[in-house]
Amino acid sequence: MLKNNTLKEEYPPGDFAIWIIIYVELITFGLLFIGYVVSRRENVQLFNDSQLMVSQTSGFINTLILITSSYFVVKAVHGIKNMTKESSKESSIAASKWLLSAIVFGVAFLIIKLSEFSHIFGQGITLSTNKFFMFYIFLTVFHFMHVALGTIILFNIYKKTKMQGYSGDDCGGMETGASYWHMVDLLWIVLFPLVYIIK
Amino acid sequence: MKKILEGVWIILVILTIFAFMLGHLKFMPTYLVAILLISTFIKGQLVIDYFMDLKKVKLKYRLIPTIWLTAVISLIAILL
Repeated sequence: MLKNNTLKEEYPPGDFAIWIIIYVELITFGLLFIGYVVSRRENVQLFNDSQLMVSQTSGFINTLILITSSYFVVKAVHGIKNMTKESSKESSIAASKWLLSAIVFGVAFLIIKLSEFSHIFGQGITLSTNKFFMFYIFLTVFHFMHVALGTIILFNIYKKTKMQGYSGDDCGGMETGASYWHMVDLLWIVLFPLVYIIK
Repeated sequence: MKKILEGVWIILVILTIFAFMLGHLKFMPTYLVAILLISTFIKGQLVIDYFMDLKKVKLKYRLIPTIWLTAVISLIAILL
């Protein structure tokens, strides 16, 4: 047990400040999730009827997209962390390809979400339509903004990786961005069943 | 490690497909909601352990998101 504990790394991957941001974001979204459930408890029929108007299929596709994109980012980070001086160029090129794939998936998420928003808003639905849509719009738009920011962060990491700007010993910036992207994934993993599936 | 990552991704995809299939039910009995929430917890914990890579880090850092996930899923189950 002691041996196992000593093998553990002292700090989480990336800049420690990002973990403060991640914990704050988790708490913020957590409160919104609980707010959704409490509100639903008082208006079950309204929530179930309103939920029929949102596309479960696009929520499902977007979940697969985010999970896969997160996986691509992990592959990129592992590629850089395990590279040697001799394999620096090849590893950076391979990692940049993984990151580019993750960015493409991030953009795909945003496009699908925009089409979902366009459909919802096209029906005249707003924040004040009812409590379900107030939470739906607030949660998904808030999350959308995080995905947009995460995609920009990944793009910057991609550029630096392509220029061989990271090494196995110096990839803190990459790990910081990757941790943020996984947080965006984690939040969606809870949001998807809560808002799109449970009835 | 490579195989573990691929395995984690496959489990995440399978559990997501499972959730999507449940979404097609007109009515979801309590036990299915419970299974869905447990599967959501498993997905979240896999992301925390293997994607965020917190399994390798001192327990206190891993515990924070795990406690968050446990609290959120439990409160959803209780309040739903």
